[in-house]
Amino acid sequence: MVILGIVIAITFFPSEEKRVKKRFHLLSVWVSKSTEENAFTMLQKMRDIGSLFDEHCDLETDYPSLSGSYTREEISTYVGSARSHVSQLSLKFYDLQIVFPEKEVAQVTLTARLTGRSTAGEQMDETRELECLLRKTEKKWLFRQIDVVEVLKK
Amino acid sequence: MNANSEIRQFFFPSITLKFLIRVSSVALLAYLFFGHLCIPFSIQGISMEPTYHNGGVNFCWKLRYLFSEPKRPDVVAVRFAGSKVMLLKRVVAREGERVEFRDGKLLVNGKEIKEPYVRYPCDWNLPPRQVEKDSIYVVGDNRSMPIENHHFGQASKSRVVGGPVW
Repeated sequence: MVILGIVIAITFFPSEEKRVKKRFHLLSVWVSKSTEENAFTMLQKMRDIGSLFDEHCDLETDYPSLSGSYTREEISTYVGSARSHVSQLSLKFYDLQIVFPEKEVAQVTLTARLTGRSTAGEQMDETRELECLLRKTEKKWLFRQIDVVEVLKK
Repeated sequence: MNANSEIRQFFFPSITLKFLIRVSSVALLAYLFFGHLCIPFSIQGISMEPTYHNGGVNFCWKLRYLFSEPKRPDVVAVRFAGSKVMLLKRVVAREGERVEFRDGKLLVNGKEIKEPYVRYPCDWNLPPRQVEKDSIYVVGDNRSMPIENHHFGQASKSRVVGGPVW
């Protein structure tokens, strides 16, 4: 009974760390695209992706044209547009290190690997270290800031 | 004990306490050595050609810079993402030095540096820049590709995890 109680508690009342990891898992699932994906799934994923982000999310990359602050709607639109240029896409996260510097703020350092194939048949394989900031709003962890770590500065 | 039983004993040893301790010790030492000190890695990409080839296998010796600093022309492994993705690059300048490329030639503090390991033609041009404190400047040996397509630049020394064994 005690073991059963512990299992139920872990399943139905996950720790904040697990809740944060779950958001990354959802982002991975919703960004990824299989060759058999139909239009309905695509639209649903596009709509769902926006719900993972705060009203405004700051993106900092080594491509100045991509860096900036984006609204949920803009993120959904941009991700949808990017996904339309690929026939297959896989986004995976590794080595998640989560700290909570303040109440309801999570800082995550992780490795992101994006692989896939463009509609023109070009192969993609990009791995980067990311630093993300998530804020808990209405019991949901939402992405507030994503920084691509610049390891080599030309 | 005849030869047959000796061979049999070698391949199918009796599970004794001594045997289990020996196996556990070997496994533990192998894990510590290959998991933390001398990490095997495979090379993906052509940025270090012809010194290191795409698909090659090597080991990263993590104690290489325990008592010394990376210096020109060492090849170092720079932690790129997480603990598993590393970049293999050559150190061309240290902190405080001014580095630039002029018509494919490497200049450090205005002086041309001979680079026998660069075998392919290079026409890179990069304005001078000073390497910041606690940093090194790393470049691949293959400079035949356009400068925009080559991963190189200043890296924090804290990201240097070691050097290749050979």
